[in-house]
Amino acid sequence: MNQQQAPTLTVAEKTLQAQLIAAGTSEAANQFGKYGLPTRRVEAYHYTDLKNLVRDVPAIVSNGEVAHPTPKFSLTDAFEVPMINGDVPSVGDTPDGIIVAHMDGSGLSERDDVLVRLNRALSTKSVMVRLEGNVQPVVHFKRHINGEAAHVVSSLMLDVAAGTEVTVLETFEGSDEAHMANYSTRINLGAGAKFTHITIDQSSKKATHFHTMEYAIGADVELRNLVVNSGASLSRTQMFGRFEGEGTHANLSGLNLVDDGQHCDITMDMTHTVENTSAQELFKSVVRNRAKAIFQGRIVVESQAQKTDAKMMAQGLMLTEGAQILTKPELEIFADDVQCGHGCTCGELDADTLFYLMSRGIPKAEASSMLIRAFVQELLDPITDEELNSKLSTIVSDWLELGEANAS
Amino acid sequence: MSTPMLEIRDLHVAIEEKEILKGVNLTVPAGEVHAIMGRNGSGKSTLSYAIAGRAGYDITSGDVLLDGKSILEMAPDERAAEGLFLAFQYPIEIPGVATMTFLKAAMNAQRKSRGEEEMTTPEFMKAVRVASDDLSINKDMLKRALNVGFSGGEKKRAEVLQMALLEPKMCVMDETDSGLDIDALQVVSEGVNRLRGPKRSMLIITHYQRLLNHIVPDRVHVFSDGQVVESGGKDLALELEAKGYANFDSAKGAA
Ligand SMILES: Nc1ncnc2c1ncn2[C@@H]1O[C@H](COP(=O)(O)OP(=O)(O)OP(=O)(O)O)[C@@H](O)[C@H]1O
Ligand SMILES: [Mg+2]
Repeated sequence: MNQQQAPTLTVAEKTLQAQLIAAGTSEAANQFGKYGLPTRRVEAYHYTDLKNLVRDVPAIVSNGEVAHPTPKFSLTDAFEVPMINGDVPSVGDTPDGIIVAHMDGSGLSERDDVLVRLNRALSTKSVMVRLEGNVQPVVHFKRHINGEAAHVVSSLMLDVAAGTEVTVLETFEGSDEAHMANYSTRINLGAGAKFTHITIDQSSKKATHFHTMEYAIGADVELRNLVVNSGASLSRTQMFGRFEGEGTHANLSGLNLVDDGQHCDITMDMTHTVENTSAQELFKSVVRNRAKAIFQGRIVVESQAQKTDAKMMAQGLMLTEGAQILTKPELEIFADDVQCGHGCTCGELDADTLFYLMSRGIPKAEASSMLIRAFVQELLDPITDEELNSKLSTIVSDWLELGEANAS
Repeated sequence: MSTPMLEIRDLHVAIEEKEILKGVNLTVPAGEVHAIMGRNGSGKSTLSYAIAGRAGYDITSGDVLLDGKSILEMAPDERAAEGLFLAFQYPIEIPGVATMTFLKAAMNAQRKSRGEEEMTTPEFMKAVRVASDDLSINKDMLKRALNVGFSGGEKKRAEVLQMALLEPKMCVMDETDSGLDIDALQVVSEGVNRLRGPKRSMLIITHYQRLLNHIVPDRVHVFSDGQVVESGGKDLALELEAKGYANFDSAKGAA
C-alpha cells in the first residue's frame, strides 16, 4: 500500500484498535491504526466498504456460557463440536478418526487482509481437529454466539489426513443481538482426501458475520464446498485456497439468500500452483427488496500450473426493485496451456416462464418460488447426504415462505 | 339462449402500440368445438395469449367473457382457475422444475381455488398414469424437467396431458397439431375427442384441414389481419384448402 496519511478512525475502528491493544498485540494495533478498516478504494473491499458499513463493535467475549443453545440447523446423526462464543470445547469421547485438540493462536496464515489480521491478532487459541480414515458421521461445528451483543473471534483448524473421506458442516448462529463475529477455518487437505465442506450462516439479522476459509489442497483431492448465507445484516465470507498437489479437483459453490437491509459478500481467491488441477466455481444469489449480494472471484494460475482447468460462474436473481447483485470475476493467468473462463448471468425471473406456470393456475408467488427453487437446485443436487440435502432445501423453502408472507 | 362458454366482443389488442387484433368477434357455445384458420402472422396466437392474459398485450377495447364473466381484469392463474386452458404453440422449457412436481402444483392450485382438498400422492399418480397412457406418453418423459429436451411432438403431447389433467371448461389449442407425426396426430386427436363433452368447449387454431378430419369442429372461422372474416360449418375448412386465403381477404374487403 502507498504511503498515506493515517486515516481518522471511526468509533468502530477505535473500539477495534482498543481491543487489539487490550489483547496485547501492539504490532497489530499499530498497523490497524495506520489503515483502519478498508474503504471502497481498497480493491478487495470495493463493494464492501467496511469503514462505512461497520458502525458498532461490541465488547470482546471469549468465555461463553456453557449452556448449549438449541440450534436452528442440526443433523440427527452427526458428531457435534460446539464452539460457543469462540470457546474451545470439551467434547468427551470422539468417534474413530476424529481427534479434537487445541492450539495457541489462529489457524490462518498471514495475509494482507484486515479480517485475517484481526482474526490472527485476536484469536488466543484455536480448536484443532484431525480427521483420518473414513469418518462416518458428518462432523458438525456448531459455532454459536450466546447472550448479549458480543464481538467473537474464533478459529478452527482442520487437518485432514491423506486418503480421508469426510463431510464437515459448520453452522453459524446466535442470539438475536448485534454481534460481530470473526470466524476462521483453516483446512489442510492431505493427498487423496475426499472432503465436503458446508457452511451455513443463519446468524441474527442484526449481526455482522465475517468468515475466512483457507484451504491448502494436496494432490488428488476431491474437494466440494458450499457456502450458504441467509443470516446477518452484514456478512463477508472469504475463501482463499491454494492447489498444491496435482490431480486435484474442486467444486466450490455458494448461495446468498439476501433480503431487505442485508449486505452479503462472498469473495473467493484461488491459486493454482501446480500442473493438472481443475476447479468449477458456481455462486448464486437470490435477492429481494433493498438488499445487496456480492460475488468476487479471482482465479490465479501460476506460470508452472499448466493444464489448469478452472471455470467460474456467477448467477443472480433479483426478485424486486432495489435488489442489487454485484459481481467481479478476475482471471490472472501466467501459464499458457490452460482452460479458464468465467461467466455471469443476472436478471429477473423470466416473464414468459412465469406466465406459462400461471396459465396452469399456479399463483404468481408459488410460481416464483418454484422457479427460484429450480435456480438453486443445481447447488443442492451434489450434496448426497440425504438429511443434509433436505435440510438445506428447507432453508431455501423457509426463506421463500418468509418472502411470500411479507409480500402478502 | 344459454350462456356461451367463450364470447369475444370487438376485441382490439395492441403490442407495443401496434394494433394486432382489430375487432375480433367470436362466440363459442358450451359444448362446441370451433376451429380458427388463418395465414401466418394474422394474429391467432395473439388472440390466444390475450385470452390467457399474457403481459404486454394491451387490450385497447372490447371484452372477453368466459362462461358469462369478463376475465380481462384477471391474472392468468385466476383465468385458469375459472376453467380456461391454453395449449401453447411453443411450450416453455423450464429447467430445474420436474414435470411431476409441476403437474401436482398445477392440479392442487386449481383444487385449492375451488376450495377442494389437495390430492393425495396415490390419487395424483393414478390420474397421471391414466392420462399419460391415453396419450401414449412415455414415463421417462415425465421424469424429466418440464419440457426440457422434449421433442416438438412430445411437447405438444405434454400440453394435451396437462389439459386432460386440469379438466378445463374452455380449451384454447394453438397449433397443437404442428410438429406431430401422423400416428401422434391420431393419438392426440383421440385424446382431445375424449375430452369433448356438453360442458367443455374448444377453440382449435390450426393450419391443417387434416386435423379437422380427426377433431370435427362445429364451426370454422377464418382469421385475417386481426379479424374473423368468415365463419361457416366444417366444410369451410375444405373450401379454404382448395381456394387459399386470398379469396377470403377480398371477401372482407368488399364487405
Ligand atoms: N411481441 C411482439 N412484438 C411485436 N409484434 C408482435 C409481437 N408478437 C406478435 N407480433 C406480431 O403480431 C402479428 C401476429 O402474430 P401472431 O403470432 O399472433 O400470428 P399467428 O397468426 O399466430 O401466426 P402463425 O400462424 O405463424 O403462428 C405478427 O405480425 C407478429 O409479428
Ligand atoms: Mg401462432
